[in-house]
Amino acid sequence: MNVVLAIVAMILFPGGLFVIVGSLAYEYVDRKLVARFQNRVGPRWFQPLADLVKLLVKEEIVPAGVNRGLFIWLPVAALAAAFTAALYIPMAGFPPTWGYRGDLVVTVYLLMMMTLCIGLAGANTTDRFSIVGSTRALTQLFSYEAPFLLALLGPAIAAGTWRISEVNGYARENMWMIVTQPLGFLVALIGLMGKLELPPFDAPEAETEIVSGALTEYSGRGLAFFRLGRDVELLVGLTLISAFYLGGLANPLQFVLKTIGLLFITAALQSLFARLRIDQTVGLWWRAGAVLALVQLLILIGLKSLGVHL
Amino acid sequence: MSEQMTLGSMTELLKPWTVASRPVSDTRLEVETTAANIVPAVGALKTAQWGFLSAITGLDNSAAVKADSGTAAASGAAPAHNGGGFEVLYHFCRGPSVLTFRVKLPREAPTVPTLSAVVPSALIYEKELAETFGVTIEGIPDRRRQFLSDDWPTNLYPMRKDFSPGSAEGLAQAAPVAVAEERRGTLGTFIVPIGPQHPALKEPGHFELTVDGETVTHAAIRLGYVHRGIEKGAEDRSWIHNIYLMERICGICSHIHSTAYVLGVEKLAGTAVPPRAQAIRTIFAEMERVHSHLLWLGVAAHEAGFDTLFMYSWRDRETIMDLLEEISGNRVNYSVNLLGGVKYDIDAKGTDSLRRGMDFLEKRTRHYLKIVTNDESFLRRTRGVGNITFEQANLLGTVGPTARASGVSRDLRVEAPYLAYADFPVKTVLDTRCDLEARFIVRINELFESYRLIRAILEKLPPGDLAVASPRRVPAGEVISRVEAPRGELFYFIRSGGGVKPDRVKVRTPSLCNWAAVLSVAVGHKLADIPMIMVGIDPCFSCNDRSITVRRRGSDERWTWEELRRYGISYYGGDA
Amino acid sequence: MLNDVFASLFKRPFTELYPYATHPAPARLRGKLLWEESKCKACMLCVRDCPARAIEIEVADRAARKYVFHYHIDRCIYCAQCVASCKENALSMSSELYHLASTDKKTFTEVYRGVGEGACVEEAALDGDAP
Repeated sequence: MNVVLAIVAMILFPGGLFVIVGSLAYEYVDRKLVARFQNRVGPRWFQPLADLVKLLVKEEIVPAGVNRGLFIWLPVAALAAAFTAALYIPMAGFPPTWGYRGDLVVTVYLLMMMTLCIGLAGANTTDRFSIVGSTRALTQLFSYEAPFLLALLGPAIAAGTWRISEVNGYARENMWMIVTQPLGFLVALIGLMGKLELPPFDAPEAETEIVSGALTEYSGRGLAFFRLGRDVELLVGLTLISAFYLGGLANPLQFVLKTIGLLFITAALQSLFARLRIDQTVGLWWRAGAVLALVQLLILIGLKSLGVHL
Repeated sequence: MSEQMTLGSMTELLKPWTVASRPVSDTRLEVETTAANIVPAVGALKTAQWGFLSAITGLDNSAAVKADSGTAAASGAAPAHNGGGFEVLYHFCRGPSVLTFRVKLPREAPTVPTLSAVVPSALIYEKELAETFGVTIEGIPDRRRQFLSDDWPTNLYPMRKDFSPGSAEGLAQAAPVAVAEERRGTLGTFIVPIGPQHPALKEPGHFELTVDGETVTHAAIRLGYVHRGIEKGAEDRSWIHNIYLMERICGICSHIHSTAYVLGVEKLAGTAVPPRAQAIRTIFAEMERVHSHLLWLGVAAHEAGFDTLFMYSWRDRETIMDLLEEISGNRVNYSVNLLGGVKYDIDAKGTDSLRRGMDFLEKRTRHYLKIVTNDESFLRRTRGVGNITFEQANLLGTVGPTARASGVSRDLRVEAPYLAYADFPVKTVLDTRCDLEARFIVRINELFESYRLIRAILEKLPPGDLAVASPRRVPAGEVISRVEAPRGELFYFIRSGGGVKPDRVKVRTPSLCNWAAVLSVAVGHKLADIPMIMVGIDPCFSCNDRSITVRRRGSDERWTWEELRRYGISYYGGDA
Repeated sequence: MLNDVFASLFKRPFTELYPYATHPAPARLRGKLLWEESKCKACMLCVRDCPARAIEIEVADRAARKYVFHYHIDRCIYCAQCVASCKENALSMSSELYHLASTDKKTFTEVYRGVGEGACVEEAALDGDAP
């Protein structure tokens, strides 16, 4: 591919700068919506940017006893993975910068990298609590990841391809898959909320929040990267789900409307409940989440083999 | 059975161990006994199931030796002090009656045996006595410090009369009490020395939870993190100054603290407070209760991860705070009380605002009651969790809504009406389900009671003066003042030597009573339930950060309160 | 709960956008202490009863009733005990002057110096007192 175009793609659009600005904007919208649901004012538009800049200028303390290299490079790896994932999705409604057969799996894997890095970061730290946090993060990863992948698989099967741009195209031409595969949509949305640790669909790993859990010992730049990575994942995840289930993204307007619409739903869900009634979250997610996704897939496969066009 | 008769029968019962017995008033009996006899005497009381241990007061009589010049004692005055020694008072309360055991101790090597075998909740009070007065408690199962910091010098006892703040300087600091050694053998786990350092760097204070997997097998507590030496400070300030000192013991209970104090002093001085003032004090007390319960509702919701309910209930709490500011001039420290009355009147405009405020709050509270009893996710955290049975509540001396949610009918406004509660009676709100949900329901129903009461008083506010003059020198004597704070029974013991400053002010806050219950209930519950159980007794969480040591087999972790709270939320599938 | 949450979206946020928007303080707000020299008799009850020792009174000329009233804004706990103790009603607490924060310690000692009958002049200007 043209090297210049590649560099532009990575640094400006749709990677790099655009993704950073976009993800900060989405964080703002999310926080503002949750605040309004709670009858508060919420932050101003530049708050996420201010938070990011503040963290970047703070001193980074590397605690004693950690593997220094890992400690410093894990956040970078997490952010890099998130950025790379952004290159494969129809960001802003434009066709993905890169694509090849199977890039759906690659994207899901890249999204998983974030949580993996958090888990490793926690395990790397000598703080006992970080270790506990990281264990939980990784457990969480296993509980949400499988249903999430299965839920994304549904549209891929319907479209008959592993390529995101083709699934997007398929979605644009046919009925919205939220209608034809409602279970899949539900699992995908909830899976995304779990992956991002958005309330109330959280498993036992609240410790991976900003000031505790696996990220306890992180400060400054490392913390900034993890946080930014989370926001990028939010953007990427929303784009993926709206591309697959909400009729594809053809242009920037559709992109904005559909992803913001999804964000609205997630913000509402965040405010409505204390948390979902999940005691043994992992076990339950393996039972309910995975089962729902599988059922959806079976229905889909069944219908497809009967020749019903979805 | 009238109180006099009950107390009378106690006199009979305790005769074998009594040195001298003295009915101080209709509702107060003092039984003097010796250190050797205190345990069997208390045992007899327990067998007769009379009352609960409310407080243990330590007294240092050395100043009294100098001050005493034969001033006539008012009713309730102490008899001749024992020439500069110590005294330990054990206060047992049942309804309006208070039975006080008085043990006189020599100045050198004062020693009493521990009551904790008979009365488990005595441990906290005995530790306080030991640390602040230097009274040795024989047989105490746990020698860790509780109120004073670990590096406070040994053999320096702040509540003794010969202590002044400067005397600690230059003294060698104590090493952390090596209690870890004691427990190492029994539990077989590595124990971090109990010390207050923890990552979030807030006040020293912590809960120590030993867990096996997810289940808590042992819980211990360390307090004293906001120990400010107020009881000592009160001895150095005039009677009027102390109103404001007591007010600042707590932010949410500020009025009730100053009320308990002024009621006690007025009793000593024989001041007849005008009924209008008492009624206004009552209105403020009930408004403070509303404020406190609404605040607690939000905090408990936050602990459960229900941030939206937290925001809503605290938004509505602004109503009551604005009302308080409108009438008294301040949102938190209302400073309404004077010795002899109140400063502020409730005029027509104030009455109108109050009525509108109560109407609004009542509507909102009904809404919250519905949420708390219907929201599935919330019920998951509260129904059947943190059960304190009736027997436990009784035995462990719980007070306030915590006790009432277990069916123990302890409410001083009903049992021993003070202020205007005799004219405007309160209905005790009881629940027999004993779990966390019951505690929510009790507190919310108490809100309705408070709204009703405020309206009733406003309807029939007695006319008259706001305050009467009160002497600056309060006659010598001892008085016990008990009131119902939002968290339970607040106990004040005030001793005057006849001067312009009090000789002793002892404050026993209700949360202290309830910790014993929490600790015993914690065992057997999941770690994730602990934040909710602790918040269920409505402890003064103004300093919300405490350090928690979680002991698992083979390792210890140190968490902050915030971490434990989030753990609890996420365990139940929410997000912190 | 659902209704609450969605209705909140359309309600104005409850948060007050202080300091861009303020609502007036109640009339009884216990703000800064004000002293009326003409009524004062220098009986010193306020000095004695103040829990925070925030008041000092110098007698410049007892016959002519000229006093100097030192008020320590940083020590005051705004309890209004002095107002209650004063039998001449010479003290009151302002409901307008309550923005008392300052970056300069000098502004925390207010010296009221009477210059004739009925007058009360504030000697030190408070920087942080802008409403």
